[in-house]
Amino acid sequence: MSIALDQVTKRYQGVPVVNDVSLNVRQGEFLVLLGPSGSGKSTLLRAIAGLTEIDHGRVSLRGRDVTHLTARQREVGFVFQHYALFRHMTIGDNIEFALRVRGVKARARRARRQELLKLVALEGMDDRLPAQLSGGQQQRIAVARALAHRPEVLLMDEPFGALDAKIREELRRTIREIQRELQITTILVTHDQEEAFALADRIGVMHQGRLLECGSPDSLYMRPATRFVSTFLGAANLLLGYRTARGVRFKPVSSGVHVPREVVAVLRPEEVQLSVEENQAQSNYVGHGTIEEILFGGAVERLRVRMASDGPVPVAPGREGDSGLGSLLEVSRTLPEQRDFPVSVGQSVAVGARRIHILPTPISSFTAVAATADSAQALRESPLLAALAARMQTRVAVRVGGGDRAPPGMPVVATGPGSTDAARWHLQHGAVQLMCVPPAESVPDHVVIHTLDTESRRATLAVAASLLRHLPAEAIYLGIPAAASPENERAAQMRDLLDVRSAALSEHGLDMRTELRPGDVAEELQRELASHAHGMVVLGTANPASIPWDWLETILEGPTPRAVLIVHALRHEPAAED
Amino acid sequence: MSWLRQPSVLPGFGLTLGFTVFFLSGLVLLPLAALIFKTTAMTWHEFVQTVLDERAIASYRLSFGAALIAATVNAVFGFIVAWTLVRYDFPGRRLVDALIDLPFALPTAVSGIALAAVFAPTGWLGIRLQEMAGVQVAYTWLGVVVALILIGLPFVVRSVQPALVEAQRDLEEAAETLGAGPFYVFRRIIFPAVLPALVTGFTMAFARGIGEYGSVVFISGNLPLKTEITPLLIVIKLEQFDYNGAAALGFVMLLASFAMLLTINLVQGWSRRRHVGAGN
Repeated sequence: MSIALDQVTKRYQGVPVVNDVSLNVRQGEFLVLLGPSGSGKSTLLRAIAGLTEIDHGRVSLRGRDVTHLTARQREVGFVFQHYALFRHMTIGDNIEFALRVRGVKARARRARRQELLKLVALEGMDDRLPAQLSGGQQQRIAVARALAHRPEVLLMDEPFGALDAKIREELRRTIREIQRELQITTILVTHDQEEAFALADRIGVMHQGRLLECGSPDSLYMRPATRFVSTFLGAANLLLGYRTARGVRFKPVSSGVHVPREVVAVLRPEEVQLSVEENQAQSNYVGHGTIEEILFGGAVERLRVRMASDGPVPVAPGREGDSGLGSLLEVSRTLPEQRDFPVSVGQSVAVGARRIHILPTPISSFTAVAATADSAQALRESPLLAALAARMQTRVAVRVGGGDRAPPGMPVVATGPGSTDAARWHLQHGAVQLMCVPPAESVPDHVVIHTLDTESRRATLAVAASLLRHLPAEAIYLGIPAAASPENERAAQMRDLLDVRSAALSEHGLDMRTELRPGDVAEELQRELASHAHGMVVLGTANPASIPWDWLETILEGPTPRAVLIVHALRHEPAAED
Repeated sequence: MSWLRQPSVLPGFGLTLGFTVFFLSGLVLLPLAALIFKTTAMTWHEFVQTVLDERAIASYRLSFGAALIAATVNAVFGFIVAWTLVRYDFPGRRLVDALIDLPFALPTAVSGIALAAVFAPTGWLGIRLQEMAGVQVAYTWLGVVVALILIGLPFVVRSVQPALVEAQRDLEEAAETLGAGPFYVFRRIIFPAVLPALVTGFTMAFARGIGEYGSVVFISGNLPLKTEITPLLIVIKLEQFDYNGAAALGFVMLLASFAMLLTINLVQGWSRRRHVGAGN
């Protein structure tokens, strides 16, 4: 590995700006770190260069641990957004700087300088001052300067940010060619997805200090794993879908015995097919809608279609909120599509989906369940639930009074009298996840995870990982074997626990502590909760009857209630991932 | 006269140019011309004799020498002060920043008297310096240097400060990633970037030091041939009604000051040319 990051964390005034990032970059690979401003991508790049110290983790370059070395000792090439050329030096002196520092002889310096100027196609500029060059030329010189000492790694921080569109594209090509020619391992930071697609062998998407996903440009675009990546890389309509025997449907299924499994579907604007009638579409029918807006955009036409109010439900409500109107769907069509079926504003159309992608996210939506509309609304706006919904870009539906089955997605009930019974009812009536939220509790800083059986482990870890990706909380997994179990089984239990930990890290990207606490489940959970003011429990089971209900009642209906999330893994459920 | 009609935010180029010319003529050029005219009343021989008088030569040596030393000291310490104020944040930074300008605002005689009181052989610092190092500051050329350091410090600090602010951190970081150590970065990156401003500050402190009068006369002791500065000599000549002699010395000072200011302008012009178009 040319560059290896291991659980790198950087905090500013206690707030993590780079949070637990692990990443490997192969020799000769071009990796683009993509993210909105403030996502921590520049800080991470500076940490690799040694310009910023990190609070936790390890940085290695070519197998050499450089975590505690200064920028000077790391031998990397760094290109800054604003070029950072030495203005009082000529171009030649700028390029030779790294060589002069290393005491290279004048003749060798000159030869290297000519070589580099040729590489960036600026021969003969040796005696100019930086101020006499254009912005694009200055950035080329900055690249040449960063390469002078033959670094093993080239790091670029938004190198095209200060340039206009045309020069940007030209320079982009130059950099790609140079990188290919020298086969130098490169990390480039940008917020421009077009740039990322044009340059990257692999793209790492960062958000709120975390490296959310990392993969080839086409796999990230076609098969994103998170809501953020699916909407940040290109445009996407995120809709709630329901798994049926005949594939994913977009209308809540009202018949049948089982609660339908809710999923989050990504529908790209270019995969939407418009037609006059439902049966004309050769694609998966989504619903009916009305053309609300048409924007001519040259090669593609952009439309917004207002879906009928009984149509598909967006994952995160837009600005309209739940105004009773249907959701807005983004659609883009090529010129041939426009010719085949011209539309105008106000026209009613049938909407089909040529291709959808189901996000492997275990949490699709929340439903606040309460006896009255007011209390349901209050629960929806309770600090913890509101924060989770906002951070996870997830919809919170409301259900007042009981139904005959649990709502799809994750039902949420408020703690307090009767909440234990409500929890039990939901788990008995088809809920696969359930959360109990104390009305005044805010975001937890400590999450205790426990599974009552091995069947529920995978689903529980997936839900916990999804939750913890959006919380600044530490996680601990408790293994609680019966105190009476013989001593000679301890080693096997310990091994089992370590397996859980490595599975959590490799399969779900969840970094958690693990502890073995022989004893009673209720007692041990209680002890762990008591040590933290804002603790939360994630409890997994394949059999709701095995939950220690008496203890749960004291947690949910006692004087200091805690948030509890229960994952009910179904025994004969097909795998959620596609 | 098309050059009279130049577009500008405010109208009235003719009016403002007229005012500029009048202002400069009335307040700067006319008195200076009168000074030069006054010296023409002397014969060449008289002029040379006055200007190259033993006492005058000694006063030039002190004035220019002390100003040079003071400006050099200020260049070093002013740079450090400016560096501290720009690069570090500490409690009371704004207060220190405001204190720098105090020598500008204070009547120079006040600072002179204050210095004399502190550095006099019986003064609070004077006694200790005498005892510990055997050095007498007040009433020697050292006193003159001390007074000029006080007066010149703000010039250096205020010239260097904006240049240091402008010298971007990423330049230092760039040098660091290229393998340069802290001292190398300072010598090759920071110092050259700040040098033009430092030269400007040095020249201004130097020019001010040559012309300084009020703060010096109280601490220098004013011994002819020893601690007598040129401006004082001019005042003495005036008190003896030797207007022509005073004018001749004034003429020499005028030439020296003009040379200084011309240098400043040339230095500034040179540094601006180096940085032209580099604003992006």
